[in-house]
Amino acid sequence: MRGVRAWLLRLFGTLRPARGEREMTEELESHLLLHIDECVRRGMSPEAARRDARLRLGGLAQTQELVRARRRLPWIESLFGDLRFGLRLLRRSPGFSLLAVLTLALGIGANTAIFSLVRSVLWSPLPYPDPADLMLLSERSADSGDTTSTSFATWVDWRARSRQFEEIALARDWQPTLSGAGDAEQVTGARVTANFFRALRVRPALGRDFHPDEDTPDTRRVVILGHDLWRRRFDSDPDIVGKTVLLGATPFLVVGVLGPDFRPLVSEAMVGGKAELWAPLGYDATQPWACRTCRHLRALGRLQAGSSRDAGLAELTAITGALWKEHPVDYPGGDVAVVPLSEQLIGSARPVLHVLLGAVGFVWLIACVNLALLLLARASHREREIAVRMALGARRGRVLRQLLSETCLLAVLGGAAGLVLTVVLPWALTAFGPRAIPRLSEVQLDGGVLLFTLGLSLATGLLAGLAPALRLTRGRLPGALREGGTRTSAGAPGRRLRGLLVVAEVALSLSLLVGAGLMVRSLWRLLDLPPGFDAGRVLTMQVSLVGPRYETDGAVRRHHDEVLARLRALPGVEAAAVASQVPLAGNYDSHGFHAEGRMAANPEQDPSAQRYAVSPDYLRVMGIPLVRGRALAASDVDGAPRVVLINQTAAARVWPGSDPLGKRVKLGGTDGPWWTVIGVVGDVHHQRLDETPELQMYVPHAQWEADSQMIIAIRATGPPLELAAAAERVVRSVDPSQAIFQVAALDQYVSTSVAGRRLSLVMLAAFAALALLLSAIGIYGVTSYGVARRTHEMGIRLALGAQPVQLMGSILREGMALAAAGIAVGVAAALMLTRILGALLYEISPTDPATFVAVAAILAAVALLACYVPARRVLRVEPTEALRGE
Amino acid sequence: MSPNGEVWQGTLALMVLKTLEALGPLHGYGIGRRIEQTSGNRLIVNYGTLYPALLKLEQEGYIASSWGKSENNRRAKFYRLTRAGRRQVVREAGQWEEAAAIVARFLRPESES
Repeated sequence: MRGVRAWLLRLFGTLRPARGEREMTEELESHLLLHIDECVRRGMSPEAARRDARLRLGGLAQTQELVRARRRLPWIESLFGDLRFGLRLLRRSPGFSLLAVLTLALGIGANTAIFSLVRSVLWSPLPYPDPADLMLLSERSADSGDTTSTSFATWVDWRARSRQFEEIALARDWQPTLSGAGDAEQVTGARVTANFFRALRVRPALGRDFHPDEDTPDTRRVVILGHDLWRRRFDSDPDIVGKTVLLGATPFLVVGVLGPDFRPLVSEAMVGGKAELWAPLGYDATQPWACRTCRHLRALGRLQAGSSRDAGLAELTAITGALWKEHPVDYPGGDVAVVPLSEQLIGSARPVLHVLLGAVGFVWLIACVNLALLLLARASHREREIAVRMALGARRGRVLRQLLSETCLLAVLGGAAGLVLTVVLPWALTAFGPRAIPRLSEVQLDGGVLLFTLGLSLATGLLAGLAPALRLTRGRLPGALREGGTRTSAGAPGRRLRGLLVVAEVALSLSLLVGAGLMVRSLWRLLDLPPGFDAGRVLTMQVSLVGPRYETDGAVRRHHDEVLARLRALPGVEAAAVASQVPLAGNYDSHGFHAEGRMAANPEQDPSAQRYAVSPDYLRVMGIPLVRGRALAASDVDGAPRVVLINQTAAARVWPGSDPLGKRVKLGGTDGPWWTVIGVVGDVHHQRLDETPELQMYVPHAQWEADSQMIIAIRATGPPLELAAAAERVVRSVDPSQAIFQVAALDQYVSTSVAGRRLSLVMLAAFAALALLLSAIGIYGVTSYGVARRTHEMGIRLALGAQPVQLMGSILREGMALAAAGIAVGVAAALMLTRILGALLYEISPTDPATFVAVAAILAAVALLACYVPARRVLRVEPTEALRGE
Repeated sequence: MSPNGEVWQGTLALMVLKTLEALGPLHGYGIGRRIEQTSGNRLIVNYGTLYPALLKLEQEGYIASSWGKSENNRRAKFYRLTRAGRRQVVREAGQWEEAAAIVARFLRPESES
């Protein structure tokens, strides 16, 4: 404690030296006077007394110095001195300083930005109490490996038998239409079991949580609102609890409002934002959709305190195993999965972020190498200064400290400039959409990020500055002090070190470029892949019919027909159709597919197919090719023979080697009517571009139970979004009260589906470009420095009759030898490193030779350019001028 | 105490504190002179190291200072013991006596038996 107090006082003394100085002078003066007084009293002459007093004080100046050293913190003062000196030096060579600060700003800024991203997305806990105990539980079927869902009946048993889990809750996505005051609006929500918020350990800020007895089929008309929705739609009404809101045509009683810091689970839906309202699931075991095979619910479990994921998994596996024995018909085999919620939330973003983290690490190393190269080049100008200092008695440690504080100063300036990137990057990333990186909105610039920047900057300064500083202070005095010492041509000091650094830099950039190259090719392949439909010029919008007018199937169908008729009359519309779902829009609806004569003993084991209920023009609008048979026609109406189109995958999978046309199938359960296959159409990538298409079938919407929520798809003659406003007006003209939402070009869905991939590509490419730029600067700097240093030598050689072109060639050869060595090392490193990219690549080998060759060629070209520009200067060397300097 | 009569650094602080305890507030010169007198002039205080030592004690809070008039009417900075300083005197004196006693036993081992 006493030590700290003294230290603080000294620090204060360092910052405010004037007062202490005055006091010290007065005290020492008074000391001398007292001493003299006494000596005189004892009979000395005043002169002798004064001399004696000064002598005994041990010299006034020395004593003052001793006191000063005690009053302040000398090392801080010398550090300030070093920094001031460093700043002066930086100002004296603005070109060097600017280049160095810029290099560092890019290198450190990129790292800080990615650090803040990774920290918020990967490392910070979920915003719920004890988030590590939250797990997603799912059944995993043996064939599809789908791990996200379970069924209500299974959940009932899990919940009843589990001891490891304190709560297990269910949730499913819900997109109700909020009507009433203001425009009807589709909102994203979730249907959840009554214990959902208890499992999250979240309590509503207003009102109450759900009661268990509200979670039954007839009494599920209560809702909890999210904070944003409450503010946006209900003007933060403090008395909202107890009021009713209209969802669709149904009034729901508001029982609670969540607090502003609640973060909903990420919705599975492709479009639509975060969940903003919650209502009880309202299932019971008697409902058909509660069946054991009806796996469409997400289960969220909270482990008991003290339990673990492994214990939870073991127990759940045992319970589920017992269920299989009890209900052998319902469980086709497979296993269960228990995945930490955080893991599921981050999901596919994790490898992307790790790759980016690695990539910026490389960029940082390159920036360090570059700074070291710059410092080495500048070091030659300072050799004499340092040599003189050391000759005059400065200790090596002191000089090292001075040099390193200069580089750290540079690095901190660079880091500060780099903070700009940290602010800009997350903002720029949101342009890729909320789906590309989860939790992006939680990224922020705070103390942790600033501390990281400072630490990284200092590390950069030390790392990059150490080698040059050590070299400078090696203390070969005579050479450095000799007149003309900077002009020696042969064995330029540090040449080997510089060469090594350039090789390292080129190798690092090559690895990064290869990584980026592989990602570019993956994305190209993916985008080149025919999605099975023609997304250009297609506009989609979702409509939802609410109210008593649409209680019969006929009314809904009449509405759809009327809308389509009016749309077709709209100029710019080539064709229009309605569909229950469209590809890549995040819809998912599949039904059991039971082929006549080919049904499994247990119909539950029959395949299921994605079901599209569509109007006849759908295939035309989407550009899906008809391969065999006939398309749907206007005559395929309710009452006419039921017909279905299947895709090629279904044809090949269900009727291998035989003609599916005319075959009959039952859809959904086995108790329904027969549907006759009338045609085969092309496969469509429904969920993701990089999946293999599943079984698909198209039924006339007129023959399927009418759906009040449909997607209208319009093929336009021009850019689809230009048609959006007019089309919306037309749709509304049929019924102004209906909700229209998700108006989007089909193209947008396509690009959303590759957003994550595109994002990682763009960032990796940006970092690779940065690396390339930095290495070019490095090679340029080294070559140009070499040329400058050898001007004298070149002059002699020219005077002796050498051809300028020859000299230039020798310089180029030197630079390119380094680049070639770097490329060789880089290729070797990249061969090992690109395997990490694995999952991020699509149908391309991590060692794809074409990419390696292309990247090496690019790097060689850039290196050649970076050598050529300074080497050309040799051509302008005047022998007389170069020699005159002697 | 070294043979040439200069005061060891570590012991100087204790001597300063002890002097202030005995005599009350005193200026730097007076403290130095007093230490010399107490030692029967066998010690010579290096005034150059006395002032940094006083400063250190003050920064550590064992002594405090204020300006005043000396007996012959000179302006001087007077040091006095703080409460922490008083405790420190006791503590350090104890440690010192113990150390001295131990060393003494080594120097006269025969008295041990």
